[in-house]
Amino acid sequence: MAAVFQQGVARALSDPTLKLAIDRTTVTAERKRAAALADYPQFAAARERGTAIKDHVVANLDHYLDEFERNATASGAVVHWAADADEACRIVLGICRGAGARRVTRAKSMLGEEIGLPHALEEAGIERVETDLAEHIVQLAGETPSHIVWPALHKTREQVSALFKAAHRVPHEADTVEAMVESARRELRDRFLSAEVGISGANFLIADSGAVCTVTNEGNAELTTTPPRVHVVTAGIEKLVPSLAHAFAMLRLLVRSATGADLTQYTTFHCGPKRPGDRDGPEEFHIVLVDNGRSRMLRDAGLREMLRCIRCGACMNHCVVYRQIGGHAYGGTYPGPMGAVLTPALEGVDKARDLPHACTLNGRCQEVCPVGIPLPTLLRGWRDRSWKEGLVPRGVRSGLGLWRFAAERPWLYRLGTAAAVRAMRLFRRGGWIGRMPFAGAWTRYRDLPAPAGRTFMEQLRDRERGR
Amino acid sequence: MSARETVLGAVRAALGRPRPDPAAVAAEARALLADPDAIRPSLPLPDPAAAFAARVVSPKVGATLDRIGDLQELPGAVRRYLAGHELPHALTLQPDPALWRLDWTGFELREAARPDEAAALGRARWGIAETGSLVFHSGPETAVLNHFLALHHLVALRVADILPHLEDYAAVAGPAPRNLNLITGASGTTDIEGSYVRGAHGPAFLHVVLVGAPLP
Repeated sequence: MAAVFQQGVARALSDPTLKLAIDRTTVTAERKRAAALADYPQFAAARERGTAIKDHVVANLDHYLDEFERNATASGAVVHWAADADEACRIVLGICRGAGARRVTRAKSMLGEEIGLPHALEEAGIERVETDLAEHIVQLAGETPSHIVWPALHKTREQVSALFKAAHRVPHEADTVEAMVESARRELRDRFLSAEVGISGANFLIADSGAVCTVTNEGNAELTTTPPRVHVVTAGIEKLVPSLAHAFAMLRLLVRSATGADLTQYTTFHCGPKRPGDRDGPEEFHIVLVDNGRSRMLRDAGLREMLRCIRCGACMNHCVVYRQIGGHAYGGTYPGPMGAVLTPALEGVDKARDLPHACTLNGRCQEVCPVGIPLPTLLRGWRDRSWKEGLVPRGVRSGLGLWRFAAERPWLYRLGTAAAVRAMRLFRRGGWIGRMPFAGAWTRYRDLPAPAGRTFMEQLRDRERGR
Repeated sequence: MSARETVLGAVRAALGRPRPDPAAVAAEARALLADPDAIRPSLPLPDPAAAFAARVVSPKVGATLDRIGDLQELPGAVRRYLAGHELPHALTLQPDPALWRLDWTGFELREAARPDEAAALGRARWGIAETGSLVFHSGPETAVLNHFLALHHLVALRVADILPHLEDYAAVAGPAPRNLNLITGASGTTDIEGSYVRGAHGPAFLHVVLVGAPLP
């Protein structure tokens, strides 16, 4: 896994267009979020409230699961439970087969990606039509999402244009983003209306009504869930909120943090199947409640707070590491800081040990998180565990052992650092070090700031002597 | 053991406490909704209808707005809009008797939108000033697809039905409809390099016609 992560990083850093593509979206997202918060002085209080709402739900999760199931069932929905990813996929495939589905449409759901649903549908020989524009791009490219809000953020417009021209029946002519969007609209329209099953995720599950909330700006969720005879929702069990009013409080935080808008263009609450007299809507409505590691995180004091996450993506938009390497290098479904916490929980810290280490601990993610998740603390928790479980490579262990030996002997530490800062200055060029023995891993991609001429302790001593 | 018991059992074991008292949980949930003004944006104008009108035409929502005194004037307002966009006098009309009984002489009307529909007209139950949202409940008088298939989405809304905040809607909503659609603008996407384009899958244009006394 270590090698896989390093390879992913190396591939990302040597990609000639990736950094440009990442910046085009994340810089805009960062600016728009800042503007939205400037217009919302109540944000700090709202964030505290949102945090308290999620904590309340998590602390009473059994109660709310029960209540949601009861109300959803009363609305005519069929509620299914899945302990893990395989079970969830089996349930969804069973519903699709029962509906005689040859074609299913899917509205973007990261839970669906997490459980491997796209792959499972393909294995089962069911045509899968991704309807979110970005997911459509990712599907045409045969890739996986690289961001939880903008799955195709790693693609430049030139790359998207080439994909559409190769795959669409009536592709765009002008190479503008508008023309490309128009091309996708044309391409997907009849697919929306001819699918037997529509699959969506859930942004929130409303306990007191049994409704499922989806948010989109494209309107693809409603076009996915309305025409087919069967609508299937896959949702993580942590998505619950007590009522509609609580969902509104969370939506204010989610949308501003994700895109900088105050509310998504289309915010829909789906409650049960078609009712007598309804003009449209699915005849069957299935909700698959998926655990897949969440109850394990609930048990773990060092991870429980992660269950507050509402998947806005602000942490990755503001992450200096994500903005260099993009989402694919992280290797899991969820990239960026939240992914670095979630992936070890979902796949095992032995497989994802590198992710919590690929972090500068600058704290930006916690600062922008709309539900105040202490991501750096949770990441440090993973580092601690990987140390205790003996997963840290020998080189790092002995390096740290050496450091500790010196740190426990101040005279030795001062001697060592005094020698090191002087030695490092021999390699400087105008305040920066471009190459130095033992620092190749760092200086290969960026310069190291040259240290001051003397150590902090030396300078302090001089100061105290009044020099 | 069923998957339900497995999942719920694991959740209960993780929480490690007796089952909570439903009344206590409900009281705690209610307390989390106290003092809503502390956690929501204040309206820029004191009158909700004026705030709504300003909001829907702002870049945040990006709709166009027309005002009429009475619902009888709606066909005229629709005619103006269609002419302005050089569209034929044909549209999908939400199966709402209040709309169908108006004088649509000269229009070609449909109850259900076609896949390539140019224009659809609906009537929103409520408007929300805070966000500029239009609220629809699916049912015999409201087809969901009509809001999504047409390129131009026209919506009539009574001034009297404009509510200040999202919570005000939650308070009057009643039992959950099969679909509650909050529509806040035209369909848009930023999926290609973050640049904003309208008309991704749903309507590219949203036009709101406010019905009722002139705004203060």
